Amino acid sequence: MASTVSVVEEVEDYSFLPIIHDIIKCMDKDSPDVHQELNKLKTKIQEAREQISAMPGIDMSPALQESKLRTLREQVRTKNQLLQKYKSLCMFDIPKPS
Amino acid sequence: MAAAEKPTKEKLLSTLDDIEVLSRELIEMLALSRTQKLPQPGEDTEILDLLVQRDKEFQELMQTAVEQGKVHQEMQALEKEVEKRDSDIQQLQKQLKEAEHILATAVYQAKEKLKSIEKARKGSISSEEIIKYAHRISASNAVCAPLNWVPGDPRRPYPTDLEMRSGILGNMSNMSTNGVNGHLPGDALAAGRLPGRFTLFSSWLSLSCKYCDILTPQYPWQSADVSMGILPPHHGNDFGLEPPGHNKENEDDVEAMSTDSSSSSSDSD
Repeated sequence: MASTVSVVEEVEDYSFLPIIHDIIKCMDKDSPDVHQELNKLKTKIQEAREQISAMPGIDMSPALQESKLRTLREQVRTKNQLLQKYKSLCMFDIPKPS
Repeated sequence: MAAAEKPTKEKLLSTLDDIEVLSRELIEMLALSRTQKLPQPGEDTEILDLLVQRDKEFQELMQTAVEQGKVHQEMQALEKEVEKRDSDIQQLQKQLKEAEHILATAVYQAKEKLKSIEKARKGSISSEEIIKYAHRISASNAVCAPLNWVPGDPRRPYPTDLEMRSGILGNMSNMSTNGVNGHLPGDALAAGRLPGRFTLFSSWLSLSCKYCDILTPQYPWQSADVSMGILPPHHGNDFGLEPPGHNKENEDDVEAMSTDSSSSSSDSD
């Protein structure tokens, strides 16, 4: 439940419609807060840009990322198998020089 | 195959730009419509619809970006694991290489040893023969002076000039002259023994080539003690008739040592 709430909150955070709605309301009322709301919108857009630039892993499409993930998993599996095979292959111990 | 999909970041920034432009247009349009009081048939609605659509897209893209971030974390963990496995494989490779080098060296050395063994086996000499020759050499007083040797004794650890001339080689070279060298007393008596002596000397020569260490030129009697002069000097002549050190006792020892009947020096020529 808490995770669902946080997901909903995240979704709402990314929406610009509430701010635009506030701006239109202020314009209708001829409120002096119009400029403040406009600044809020500009700030939010700027922050969104900065957040997008800082987010990791979005330099590729989801499909490409999924493909790379599968490749990495396969690599790990193969290397584990190889190591297991070579470690079990050694039937004798190399004596240490006395 | 579909064209390469655009990266999520590019889509997000593009959508954000669209939202910015649309929101600005909408606000400007509303502001103009309020001041100019001109009807804008459906245009503002159209912009509004677009804005809502873009906002929805933006939210979906942001959700995708968050999930991609989590996948990216998993990929980073997998990459670290791949690096660790790579270093393990490299370590194992180094160890295998070292083992291969050690084994190759051991095999090479073993092969060399086998070659030496085979070579030694091919050129092996019977220990009995070596002991027999050693006994002959020592019996001829070649390594140590006889106990009764005194300074002045003509005996030497090697065949002397006179003895060589009395031997087969000396007789062969003097065949035409017919016994000019008759200065040796008891020549006829010595003749019977000299061939044997020559054989002994030739075997001594051949053995000296092989075992140089035995026949070192350190004759102890060259600096013999004067006090050793006990025997009268004429004993040296008596001993000169017989091969040096080739007395009956040593001969018996030689015969006893050897099991081969053909090894007797007096019979061989």
